[in-house]
Amino acid sequence: MKWWITGAVVLVAAAIVPTFLDPTGYAIRVLTLALLFAALGQAWNIVGGLANQISLGHAAFFGLGAYTSTILLINFGLSPWIGMLAGAAIAAVAAYLLSFPTMKLRGHYFALATLAFSEVLRVIAGSWTSVTGGPVGLSVPFSPDSFWLLQFKSTMPYYYIMLGALVVISGVFVWIRHSSLGYRLRALKENPEAAEVVGVNTTQVKISAAVISAALTATLGTLYAQFTYFFDPEAVFGIIPISVRAAIIAILGGAGTVVGPIIGAFLIVPMEEMANVLLSSRGAGLSQLAFGVMLIAIILIEPRGILALITNGVSRLRRRKSS
Amino acid sequence: MSDTTPTLLSVEDVYAGYDGSDVLHGVSLDVHAGEFVCVIGANTAGKSTLLRTISRLVPKSRGRITFDGTDLMSLKAHEIPKLGIAHVPEGRHVFPDMTVEENLLLGAYTLRQDPVYKERLEKAFTLFPRLKERRRQWAGTLSGGEQQMVVLGRAMMLNLRLLILDEPSHGLAPIVVDEVHDALVKIHEAGTSILLVEQNTSLALSVASRGYVLESGEIVLAESAKALHDDPKVREAYLGL
Ligand SMILES: Nc1ncnc2c1ncn2[C@@H]1O[C@H](COP(=O)(O)OP(=O)(O)OP(=O)(O)O)[C@@H](O)[C@H]1O
Ligand SMILES: [Mg+2]
Repeated sequence: MKWWITGAVVLVAAAIVPTFLDPTGYAIRVLTLALLFAALGQAWNIVGGLANQISLGHAAFFGLGAYTSTILLINFGLSPWIGMLAGAAIAAVAAYLLSFPTMKLRGHYFALATLAFSEVLRVIAGSWTSVTGGPVGLSVPFSPDSFWLLQFKSTMPYYYIMLGALVVISGVFVWIRHSSLGYRLRALKENPEAAEVVGVNTTQVKISAAVISAALTATLGTLYAQFTYFFDPEAVFGIIPISVRAAIIAILGGAGTVVGPIIGAFLIVPMEEMANVLLSSRGAGLSQLAFGVMLIAIILIEPRGILALITNGVSRLRRRKSS
Repeated sequence: MSDTTPTLLSVEDVYAGYDGSDVLHGVSLDVHAGEFVCVIGANTAGKSTLLRTISRLVPKSRGRITFDGTDLMSLKAHEIPKLGIAHVPEGRHVFPDMTVEENLLLGAYTLRQDPVYKERLEKAFTLFPRLKERRRQWAGTLSGGEQQMVVLGRAMMLNLRLLILDEPSHGLAPIVVDEVHDALVKIHEAGTSILLVEQNTSLALSVASRGYVLESGEIVLAESAKALHDDPKVREAYLGL
């Protein structure tokens, strides 16, 4: 099957599924979250997968998106659609500035620097109480149903909004991958020096990827805030709930591929939900442990992710049949 | 000939190194237009560092480097290829997850839609017909010799004036080394100046017209290739004769 036929079939199926579900039920909520986090993994994939820069600080941009649009909504009644653009712009500037100190850092050092940056923002959000609500967090003023204010009683509209976000961000990912920026990113990923000597401005390429990824991540922060109605600093700036989760979703599924984060999110999010239901309060901290175990497992079994595991398996089966 | 043709690349009193210690100690050399020059030297003499300094890949460097009157020291690494200088680094870095053609395209990506692109691609394919057959194959699945052709082909996608080569024969089977040798001669005959670094001294001296001997970061000999070939010290230390 051609890839676009597969894509169209999956998309149609995704559009039909909610009609079979209770529109305010638990199942659709889990699926909506899975779509949101698939989109987050995809945004992360632009730096983590294409440029091979493993960021552990994407919560910084997610949180900037959530706080920016919500603060604008609470204080000025501004539509979250506009707040979303403001958040994206702020996140883009933050990513641009952050790229200078982190430019020369490789591997773990880059990951740690991005992580430190998001932690600084988390601490600021926790202490600047007059604006951010401090450690208690912010509540989105409740006024459903309004498309302009991005609020709905039913989960179903959110489902379609997250699906739309996933489609758009996946589209951006595919477009970048096949654009000249994508070629330059791939060259950079293979070997920075070899890329430079064929004329790739690796500095500029890294910054472009970081800025695009950050802006997209911030829009998801806004959508998350509107979906959950309430968040505190840990929920949007947290290392485990956002940064690590984004990275694991993409790496587990297959970083650098467009379906990787989608596979990853639809495995991890429902699994976490199931663990929460089964273990309730006794399971606190369990998702951290589960993330760690999954990461080690994937690195040991197939560092290129589940997608590679599947394609390898399929081609092995084919070979066996044909021989 | 070196006195009559203009100087293309001029390296004067260059020092370069990594964190703390210098690897090159006041190196000077010239490449004249149309010349084929080689630098020979033992392991860790600083040959790669010299080429990487010319390509602006070594941040800690000082001295004067000019190319056709342009001061290279004031440029960034990615600006160098625009002048027509192609550096083929040590270790044949093809981009393995790209096809042969995508690899070549990357060498010319500054041209984008320029019709010149097609012309140069055809030129590269004429020189390396095997690349044409394999234009859609992943570069990572090619043999070592074919990968060397890809990086040479990629260099030819620039408006190539000076080709800088770092040990192109390293790790190749003797028969493939002969192919590389022939390709270099053809590229040179087509009008490109070449600066070649090699540990395979007999190969280097058989293709170049002039050579330098680099020892511990200093040029200790500068002669015609023939004179170097006949030099008793070179014969003993680098040719094993
Ligand atoms: N990126 C680097 N960082 C630190 N030191 C380096 C780096 N690259 C090279 N060196 C050091 O500089 C010295 C010269 O290395 P260089 O690679 O220039 O030698 P070479 O003549 O090309 O050797 P070879 O024939 O093995 O390629 C060596 O002592 C090496 O350890
Ligand atoms: Mg070397």
